[in-house]
Amino acid sequence: MAQFNSLLLFLALSTVVVVAFVFVARSTRNPAEVPYGAVTGVRRRLFWVMSVALLGFLGLTLPLLPYPHADQKPDRVVHVRARQFLFEFSDKAFPEGDGMAVPAELPPVKAGELVEYRVSAVDATHGFGIYNEKGDLIHQVQAMPGYVNRLRVRFPSAGTFQVLCMEYCGVGHHVMRATIEVAAN
Amino acid sequence: MSTESVTTQLPPAQEASLKKLTLIWVLTMLALFPILALLGGLMRSAQANLVTNLPADRFYSFMTLHGVGMVGTWFVAAMAGAVFCLRRYVAVSVKVNWIAYFGTLLGVVLLLACTLIGKYGAGWYFLYPLPFKAMGAWEGWATATFFATLGVLGVSWTLWSLDLVRAIAVKYPLSAALGWDCIRGKKDAQEVPPSVLISLVATLANLVGLVTAVVLLVLLAIEHLGGGTPNDALLLKNLTFLFGHLLVNITLYFGVAMVYELLPAYTGRAWKNNKLIAIAWNIVLLLVILAYFHHLYMDFVQLRWMQLVGQISSYMSAIPAAVMSIFGALANLYRSKMRWTMASSLLFLGVLGWTIGGIGAVIDSTVAVNLLFHNTLWVPAHFHTYFLMGLTLMVLGGCFHIAEALSGEIEKKWLSKLVLVLMCVGGYGFLLMFYISGADSVPRRYASYSPDIAQGIIHAKIATAFVAVFLVGLLIYIWETGRRCVRAFRAV
Repeated sequence: MAQFNSLLLFLALSTVVVVAFVFVARSTRNPAEVPYGAVTGVRRRLFWVMSVALLGFLGLTLPLLPYPHADQKPDRVVHVRARQFLFEFSDKAFPEGDGMAVPAELPPVKAGELVEYRVSAVDATHGFGIYNEKGDLIHQVQAMPGYVNRLRVRFPSAGTFQVLCMEYCGVGHHVMRATIEVAAN
Repeated sequence: MSTESVTTQLPPAQEASLKKLTLIWVLTMLALFPILALLGGLMRSAQANLVTNLPADRFYSFMTLHGVGMVGTWFVAAMAGAVFCLRRYVAVSVKVNWIAYFGTLLGVVLLLACTLIGKYGAGWYFLYPLPFKAMGAWEGWATATFFATLGVLGVSWTLWSLDLVRAIAVKYPLSAALGWDCIRGKKDAQEVPPSVLISLVATLANLVGLVTAVVLLVLLAIEHLGGGTPNDALLLKNLTFLFGHLLVNITLYFGVAMVYELLPAYTGRAWKNNKLIAIAWNIVLLLVILAYFHHLYMDFVQLRWMQLVGQISSYMSAIPAAVMSIFGALANLYRSKMRWTMASSLLFLGVLGWTIGGIGAVIDSTVAVNLLFHNTLWVPAHFHTYFLMGLTLMVLGGCFHIAEALSGEIEKKWLSKLVLVLMCVGGYGFLLMFYISGADSVPRRYASYSPDIAQGIIHAKIATAFVAVFLVGLLIYIWETGRRCVRAFRAV
């Protein structure tokens, strides 16, 4: 939904811009001297409209940062390690080194609980992108060697969610994926 | 016969040499652009399943060549065009300009070798440590050659940039050239054309980016040649994106400098520097550097204040661009006796593309939105808008202006209209598919799409058709501009 709204906003604003440019282009059919004061007046209005709009959007969107809050405690922690070209999941921290972990069956996460994915990588930088069953990207974070990025997710409902690699990581980038099973709470 | 009547700061022999060099730059761009565009079309065709026998390693090496090639081609074309316009005010070193040309050519040869022969495919932004994690897709020599490419291009372009700063500083004190005297309201402040101010801002920011690239290359050399420990991936990512972000943005500014310089010749109205333009471009110099943080929003380990500065500076940078440059261009045009030619129409359409690209960019520079758009096709959507329908059209307009003026051969109106229609329909159709794909969460940089991303395949099919339309317009433009350049070259 947010993606669709952003696309609509983009198309709407682009249409306004195109209309303005066409208006100006057509005005050259009737050339005339334009008073400097009229031009500066329009420019001043444009400045204020843009400044207010941009400050307004800053005010609305800056509180919505996706970064974890220190005072929030996750219900479940899942460790994720990305490597060319697969994701490994574990309930425990991965040992030092870049050897493959022994695959283990993880209990599914539960809908509604706050899950913290601690995401890292062993080789290149990858991207950990979570897609819902409709194919919409709902969360993502980078997976970088030497760092652990903490992504907190609350799945709204049970289902099967796909993980796609969102950062170009080499020749297998487009086939690098995983599955997250979310159980009902 | 040339119809150009611009004064020049260069003595006659150097003026002739710079004219020849500029024509060679234009012809080089006209040769490289369609090849690189075809590579891009091939990539979209592969994503559309129209081309099914392109192996992934080839796809990604073409992607790397397309990215580095396009960024490099448009940087040199924009800078060469700006230098040509600026010769009216400052005396550049024509020798250094020739060195920059041959250095660029050498870089192109090295790039072709590492990508086409070596199949180097780490992407144009070579995100550490991927160049060294080929997984057999490319050899070590290809990686080394790629970094040699960057070294050669970096040295050539640094010399070129320093010469431009030198030439400006010889004519104008720094306080005048950056508009500080004008801002302070200094009496008898030296009048500085806006194209000089903008080019200086662009070059200073470019030098920051080039120094960053040097630091990057040195750190990599220490790790891989000096036996050093692995570098810090987050530090290198910051350096890489600072370099890349600055390079593409200042390329756009050189295009804008050409608009400031050339548009008045078609509208018949002067576009002089003033206090507000000077303030705007000084703000741009600061904001363009700070805004690079918007490339690292999805690195949650990045310092929080950097993320906030990234969004704030990205938003704020829209104001000087829109209020001074874009509005200024429209005000210069409004009810003027505008001569609508292919050159002036391309300049106008380039400003339009820049504006539309800016809308997509500001939306994506919102952290909360970036969570859902980062590394989807929304990202190539907005930067292709800036570059293809913004900067490229500005530079193509400038190049046709130069070709027409130096050859004396006036355009054929019906052919010019055909070119403009084909490029606009083809270009915006191609871009719309990127935006729709991005909103549909289709990831970027995928050699192919699996059935659960079927919408990506459909959008790519439609995009490929629009690419074909654009290319027809481009080929006509190349023919019309190229033969005028050859004619002008013989006459110089």
